[in-house]
Amino acid sequence: MTVVPQELIRNFCIIAHIDHGKSTLADRILQLTGAVQDRDMREQILDSMDLERERGITIKAQAVRVFYTALDGVTYQFNLIDTPGHVDFSYEVSRSLAACEGALLVVDASQGIEAQTLANTYLAIEGDLELIPVLNKIDLPAAEPDLHGGAVAELIGVDPDSVLRISAKTGEGIGEVLEAIVARIPPPHGDPDAPSRALIFDSVYDQYRGVVAFVRVVDGEFKKGDRLLAMQTGREVIAEEVGVMGPAMTPTGLLRAGESGYLVTGLKSVGDLKVGDTFTLARRPAEIALDGYREVKPMVFCGLFPLDADDYADLRDALEKLSLNDASLQWEPETSQALGFGFRCGFLGLLHMDIIRERLEREYDLELLATTPNVEYHVTTTAGDELLVRSPVDLPPPTNIESIREPYVRCTVLVPSDGVGAVMQLCQERRGNYVTMTPIEQRQQIVYDLPLAEIVTDFFDQLKSRTRGYASLDYELAGYRESPLVKLDILLAGDPVDALSMIVHKDLAYGRGKALVEALRGTIPRQLFEVPIQAAVGGRIVARETIKARRKDVLAKCYGGDISRKRKLLERQKEGKKRMKQVGSVEVPQEAFLSVLTLGSSSENSGTKK
Amino acid sequence: MVRHLYVHLPFCASRCGYCAFVVEVGSLGLRDVYLDALCEEFRREQSDLGLLETVYLGGGTPTLMRPHRIARLLDQIAPRVADSAEISIEANPETVDRAALRQLRAAGVTRISIGAQSFQQDLLRSLERNAQPDQVRDVVACAQDAGFDSVSVDLLFGVPGQTHEQLVADMREVQALGVDHISWYELEIKPETALSRMGAQVPDEDWAADAYEAIVGELEGHGYRWYETANFARPGHECRHSLAYWSARDYLGIGVGAVSTIDHVRSRNPIDLHRYIAALGSDDAIPRTRETLDDDMVRRERWMLGLRLDGPLDAGWAGPPDYPDALGKLAAAGLLEHADGQVWLTRRGRFVQNAVLHELMEYA
Repeated sequence: MTVVPQELIRNFCIIAHIDHGKSTLADRILQLTGAVQDRDMREQILDSMDLERERGITIKAQAVRVFYTALDGVTYQFNLIDTPGHVDFSYEVSRSLAACEGALLVVDASQGIEAQTLANTYLAIEGDLELIPVLNKIDLPAAEPDLHGGAVAELIGVDPDSVLRISAKTGEGIGEVLEAIVARIPPPHGDPDAPSRALIFDSVYDQYRGVVAFVRVVDGEFKKGDRLLAMQTGREVIAEEVGVMGPAMTPTGLLRAGESGYLVTGLKSVGDLKVGDTFTLARRPAEIALDGYREVKPMVFCGLFPLDADDYADLRDALEKLSLNDASLQWEPETSQALGFGFRCGFLGLLHMDIIRERLEREYDLELLATTPNVEYHVTTTAGDELLVRSPVDLPPPTNIESIREPYVRCTVLVPSDGVGAVMQLCQERRGNYVTMTPIEQRQQIVYDLPLAEIVTDFFDQLKSRTRGYASLDYELAGYRESPLVKLDILLAGDPVDALSMIVHKDLAYGRGKALVEALRGTIPRQLFEVPIQAAVGGRIVARETIKARRKDVLAKCYGGDISRKRKLLERQKEGKKRMKQVGSVEVPQEAFLSVLTLGSSSENSGTKK
Repeated sequence: MVRHLYVHLPFCASRCGYCAFVVEVGSLGLRDVYLDALCEEFRREQSDLGLLETVYLGGGTPTLMRPHRIARLLDQIAPRVADSAEISIEANPETVDRAALRQLRAAGVTRISIGAQSFQQDLLRSLERNAQPDQVRDVVACAQDAGFDSVSVDLLFGVPGQTHEQLVADMREVQALGVDHISWYELEIKPETALSRMGAQVPDEDWAADAYEAIVGELEGHGYRWYETANFARPGHECRHSLAYWSARDYLGIGVGAVSTIDHVRSRNPIDLHRYIAALGSDDAIPRTRETLDDDMVRRERWMLGLRLDGPLDAGWAGPPDYPDALGKLAAAGLLEHADGQVWLTRRGRFVQNAVLHELMEYA
């Protein structure tokens, strides 16, 4: 492998909103630099997980090395570090940014800047990255390059003429992008002779090689066989292999200052390696570690239970395997009276939760029941103890509670002016506190502080539907605030069902309770006996519905010619019932445990929905 | 030994809107050939046959065969039929008259089941039935005069658009006729039927439950025994052939699409008329589909069939050691009772029989 001096290295990433063309542009760069042959070109090469490809999102950051011979005749080494585009994974963005000297800021020429782009742009500016603004999709009839280009230029404080206009789809303007990377993004300037330091910006678990660390070497160099020291954890490992992504893993034996690549560690779980940690060499350790990242903490919690109790061990194995590759996934055993043995899991956000659930069901063939997501509450008891409550079940009785604090987020919504009313109404309904409103381009940037609990249900869906898809959302944690919260219990046939409990604001308890029992009445089929459904706060019933008893359930006809068919019908019906959860004496379909999720919409719009 | 014979007579003048049976519309010219094929099939199936206690001529519209063909058919099988046998036929009101009914009786038919479905003109129309209410009343009266041992009427409830008043009117009519036996089914909208294609919906559970309870109560009040889920009979007029099915006895079915169950093997004749006729016109074996019933299936079917009846089911064979748990649970819920290896549903249990079966199937 040719040795490239640092001056000829460019480390950069791409910042873009979902669907604004980040992956297409990345693919195009790989194609134009010859890293990928045309015939190997499949869409979105960097999104390697099936789910990523399907959902058109990027979850894991990755670094790809390519070589580009510029118009000046010199060949440069590009390290393209991919970034996730969804708010749940914004922490991954900050990791990627720390490994780069520059970023392409890609904006859809027909849609303009979105909230997510804005947030990541600020992160990049804070990180002192050189930004190259790029307007993509200029081939679209709806493109308004002058308008959106001007806004982008204004946002990052550059001349509107420096905004590149491209179409990643047709390939138009990609050459200019490559030249701009060479010309505008500064080369790394680490010290090749200083004690080696490399920032771990991501890691994946590979079943044959163990944990593979993606690193950006800042100073010195790392060779195959080196004994590595992780400076924060103090753990020592051998660099079993050293290489780059081209985009396939390519061993090079050496990574030098300024370069990005991978180190094979042989560790058994990504949890053993802290992303944000600094690798140095055990025989000549650096004194000061590189700046890491803020610790990633799960913000959303839910219980995952196997539909079939026999799958409990399989679920645990599957979670273990997923954790190998996802240090942000937390889980611990949980026992529910209603649902049996399962796990309380912590996720970065709703999308993260969805993805994990889908992977468990799809890749591990598990049938799961997920309880209503909730957040982590800080509870002070009258005895002066501080408790962390991640499940409504763990909330102490009201008389023992001195105060409850809940996480708030600062939400930034970008929306066309005619959607302002809808957004503000939604935020008000969700206990939001108005902060500011600023015009950006032809849109408004609305900032609200909202309890996280209010947005982990269907806030995003509501936001999209109430603004016909035009609003975009970003949020960041904004600390804990005290709130008058109560536990809302649901009783089926007189018995509380722990898995249906939720923590709600005192003033919303009645409305939520009423909506929830109505939703449950609609979801739980008639049983052999009458089933009262009640919502209760602190032992006081606030709402009640009744599921009537079954009165007639017979096969009308059964004669010699159709006995087999009727038997099979019964067998199928029985299988269908297996998918239900037996809660006490009541058979409850899975959807019932999710009806809480869609409550926000049904309680607030009960007048407009059926 | 098989003591029950089903004969399928598939010809129909038209297909009714709710029908999903094996029927042949038109093709009346094939009736004689078909009759020959039936006789040939019966000849080939002698080995398992004992003396027949019941014969059931079902369809289709068996009466479209005309009485003389029915007579020929019964002649052919007569040597294997017990003197005391029940010989039933299904009849569509518009296909028989006083003379035809007499001829059928003379040919040996002992029991006739008349497909009335309703006495309400607009319901008959939405079911695409060809008979008029008057015709239905008339034919029932003629059948009663013709000297059959039992006259039965088939009725439907839950027809899309049916009002409770119309149901009450049908109950009055059928009582006024004073028939011996009544089959009163809830309409099922099966896929591939005209009703299903029209997007017809069955009534909701409460309407249907009200209707069903009203029918059972009314007929029991008038001396009919609710002896099976959908069947009511004056004492001694229960359909013995159907009882054989519900008691899980072996039966031979002949004719196109006919099903037999003999020694835990269920087989089905081809449903294509021409294929059936061709097979019996040659030396080829009839291409039947076969299903071997394992012990679990047999047990499930016994529950499914036996609990349709009002009498106790002998559950001594039910096997699995933990089935008493299920019985106990269902008994506690007031759905069944059991004693001395006998199991029977309570009145409420009979209305929610499927739910009971789901529970029992955990064990069978």
